[in-house]
Amino acid sequence: MGEVLVSLKGADVVSSKDFTRPMVERVFEVADEALRSPERFSGSLSGKRVALLFVEPSTRTYSSFHVAARKMGADVLPLVDPEMTSLTKGESLYDTLKMIEGYGVDCIVMRHPARGAARYAADVVRVPVINAGSGSQEHPTQSLLDAYTIRRKRGSIDGLRIGFLGDLRFSRTVPSLVYTLSLFKDVTMHFIAPPALQVRPEVELHLRKRGVSYDKVEKQSEIPRVVGELDVLYVTRLQKERFPDPSEYERLKGSYRVDMELLSNARPTLGVMHPLPRVDELDPEVDGTPHAWYFEQASYGLPVRMALYHLILGG
Amino acid sequence: MEEGLLVRKIDWGTVIDHIPAWRADRVLRLIDAEQLAKDPEVSVIVLKNVPSRKYGRKDVIKLYHHHMSRTDAALVKLIYPTVTVNYIRDWKVEKYQPELPDVIEGRVRCPEVTCISNSKRDPVVRRFRVLKEDGYIQCYYCDAIVEFSSIPDLAVA
Ligand SMILES: [Zn+2]
Repeated sequence: MGEVLVSLKGADVVSSKDFTRPMVERVFEVADEALRSPERFSGSLSGKRVALLFVEPSTRTYSSFHVAARKMGADVLPLVDPEMTSLTKGESLYDTLKMIEGYGVDCIVMRHPARGAARYAADVVRVPVINAGSGSQEHPTQSLLDAYTIRRKRGSIDGLRIGFLGDLRFSRTVPSLVYTLSLFKDVTMHFIAPPALQVRPEVELHLRKRGVSYDKVEKQSEIPRVVGELDVLYVTRLQKERFPDPSEYERLKGSYRVDMELLSNARPTLGVMHPLPRVDELDPEVDGTPHAWYFEQASYGLPVRMALYHLILGG
Repeated sequence: MEEGLLVRKIDWGTVIDHIPAWRADRVLRLIDAEQLAKDPEVSVIVLKNVPSRKYGRKDVIKLYHHHMSRTDAALVKLIYPTVTVNYIRDWKVEKYQPELPDVIEGRVRCPEVTCISNSKRDPVVRRFRVLKEDGYIQCYYCDAIVEFSSIPDLAVA
């Protein structure tokens, strides 16, 4: 790759569609460093103030952004209003953002239930906006830690065959990860979901335009064969309320459950990933096997978010 | 019936010609023709399913005493590529070939109910990118895509 100058200083992180490969690799390098020598990052953001505006419940994403900022010595301004009651009651997002900007923050990390909210926020304020989840649209920083996990476990992302299983339509992590992985060479994707929960049309359009090979696996009977060919299986929750017909959910849920029986078809090196929290789509008996990457995956939330803060605010 | 009989000349205004037959109402919705009612000088003449040498049948809209904006002309052209727009000043006809716009603002709403651009609290300017080769517009905020042919269903009146 040579010396590619990649600057993320002052950049917004709104959508994984905006990422480039050198940029993603730069995040990986800094995350490696944050894992190796975290002490080098302590105090690196002293004097900076980071606002965490979470207008939707979140534990893991919120705490990882919070802990990362505190570790690096930043002031954290927590604005957590999952029920949209006190803080944002009756107030437009525009006003909330302007008020936060008025506090002199250097960066706004935002989770919001509306699709497109992060793009809007980035246009409204001058400071960098980091999208920590925009409705069912995207979760770009999760996709960085997901891709980072694959890179750590396999050494490289190029040439891998990756399956996405479960609710691909309403999952915000899936589009972001698809966009990020589409930056790598010869990645093949399989979308394993019933038709009603298949990957969204704009995600497919993006893959066609990038020339990424993919297919949709909609027959339950084909799932074991496809799983047998994968390097990575990314599992998301199948939620009953997403089905127009509840009996359809009852009929399908077994096929979209990852357990030892399904994994008996898998390659020994297959890695199973999950953005967590899981419900019953991922059997705990998988935890003790080498297939289980998900706890390690979750642990990379911190170094990847430290890397992002460092690249956007540091230096 | 002869074409000439139906298409009486106007001295000032806009002729939106070669609209696919029975699509004039959708065009009127798209260009928000009702707001023209504010101007007492303006008349709108709609011809439906009239003979066309080129296409067999077509619709024609004449906006008497009104020059449609070039942005609206481009929007109509996006959905109905056969459409031609003539601006008329003192009987003189200026044929206008609208170019496809790169961005559409205001006129079309996003199909995603949870999109920030449909928020009632925030005055977000609706905005779509035109993906010309793909035949879609894409919401600038939430990435939802809409086929050109479905745009009239989402016109904001
Ligand atoms: Zn939208």
